[in-house]
Amino acid sequence: MSATAALAHDSSGPAEAHAAHPPTATGIETKKVLMWLFLASDCMFFGTLISTHLVYRKVYPYGSTDKGIIDILSTFDIQLTSFSTFILLMSSFLMALAVSAMHKGQIKSFRRSCIGVIIFGLIFLTGQVYEFTHFFDGHALYTFSVKTAAGEVISSTYEGPADPARAKADLAHRLLAAHPDWLSVPAAAAAEDKALAPAEQVKKHGDWIVTAFKQEKVEKKSLSMQNSVFGSTFFLMTGTHGTHVAIGVLWLVSMYLYSFTGRFEKNMHGAAIDVEIMGLYWHFVDIVWIIIFTAVYLVEYIPGYNPAP
Amino acid sequence: MSADAHALSHAELLEQENQRYHAFINLALFLSVFTGVEIVVIFLPFPSWALMGTLVTLSIVKFFCVIFWFMHLIYDAPLLTILFIAGLLLAAGTMIALLGLMQHDDVDPAILHESMAPPSRVMHDTAVV
Repeated sequence: MSATAALAHDSSGPAEAHAAHPPTATGIETKKVLMWLFLASDCMFFGTLISTHLVYRKVYPYGSTDKGIIDILSTFDIQLTSFSTFILLMSSFLMALAVSAMHKGQIKSFRRSCIGVIIFGLIFLTGQVYEFTHFFDGHALYTFSVKTAAGEVISSTYEGPADPARAKADLAHRLLAAHPDWLSVPAAAAAEDKALAPAEQVKKHGDWIVTAFKQEKVEKKSLSMQNSVFGSTFFLMTGTHGTHVAIGVLWLVSMYLYSFTGRFEKNMHGAAIDVEIMGLYWHFVDIVWIIIFTAVYLVEYIPGYNPAP
Repeated sequence: MSADAHALSHAELLEQENQRYHAFINLALFLSVFTGVEIVVIFLPFPSWALMGTLVTLSIVKFFCVIFWFMHLIYDAPLLTILFIAGLLLAAGTMIALLGLMQHDDVDPAILHESMAPPSRVMHDTAVV
C-alpha cells in the first residue's frame, strides 16, 4: 500500500478537507488571520507579565524587600517543572499531529491525537496545582506534645506547612480525628466555647489538644502573593498561563465531543480550519511556557543570579 | 481532465501532509533534546554569561521552531508571519526597554524604602517640614 493510499485509509473526506475556502481580501481564511492577531496581542500581554517579573527580580535580588523572607531555590522543584515542560512540548507535538490528521480528513486519527493532548494538558495542570500548593505551604519540622486520655504526655515530631499557626491547626485536626478523647476542655473555658463542636473548639483553641508546639527547622519557606514581590509576580504570571492552558483543555474537550456529532464530515474544510485555529492557540500556550521556563525557573540556578538567602 | 488534475492535486497534498508528519516527529525529538540540554547545562560549572547565553539561545530556537513548524508559519502566507512578528517585536521591545530602564544599580534603596512607607507617615513628615 502506498503512503498516499495508507493515508486515505482512515479518510472521511480528504478532498473536502483541501477544498478552497471562500474568497477573502487577504487570500487567507479570516478566522486564521484573526487568531494570529489575537496571538500577537497575547504576546504583548505575556510580554508585560514576564517583564514585570524580571524587572522586580532585578530590583529585589532576594525576591522580597528583606533578606530571608523567601528562599527561591529551595522552594522550586526543577525536576517537576522540567517534567511539566516536557509534557507540554509533547502535547504540542500531538496537537500538530491532530491538525495534520484533520487536513488529511482522518477524523479517527484526529480524535486519538486530541485525547492525547487533553490528557497531557491535564497532567500539566495537575503539576501546576501541586506546585502552587507546595510553594504556598512550604515545609517545616516541628516538635509537639499531647496529653492522652489516660494522662500520659507524649512528645513527637511533625512535618507540616512552614506557617506555624497553620501547621498547629492541621496537627490539632489530625489528632482530633484519630483520638477524639484526647481533647481536654479546661474547666475555666468560656461557656460559648464549651458549646462548640469539637472540630470548632480545636480550630479556635489548638492548645486544648496540642499542649506544646515548637518550630524546629524550616526546610522550605512559604511563597505566596502576599509575602513577597517574587511571589506576586510569579503566581500572577504562571497562574495566567495556567488559565490559558485550562481554557485550551476545555476547547479541546468541546472539539473532541463535537467531532462525534457528524458535522465534521459535512464540512471537512471548515472543521480542519477550526482544529487548526485551536492548534494555534495550544502551540502559543506552549511557546509562552518555553519562555517562562527559561526566564523564571532556569535562570534562578545560574550562579550569581540568585544571591544566597 | 479536470478530475485527473484534482486527483493529482489531492495526492500531492496528502504527500505534503505526510512529509510534514515526519518533520513534526523530528522537531519533537529536537525539542526534547534541547529541553534536556537546558536542564543539564544549569548544573555545569560554566561562567554565568555562558549559561545565560546558552539558555536564551536554546529557548529562542525552541520558540521559533514551534511557531514556524508546529504553527505552520513556514507553510502559510507571509502575512501571518508579519502579523505575529509585529506583536512579538512590540512585546520584546517593551521587555528590553523596561529591563534597560530598571537597572538595579540605578535604584537607590533609600528612595525605594521611602516610596514604600505608609502614606500617613509621609504626610506627617511633610507637615513637620
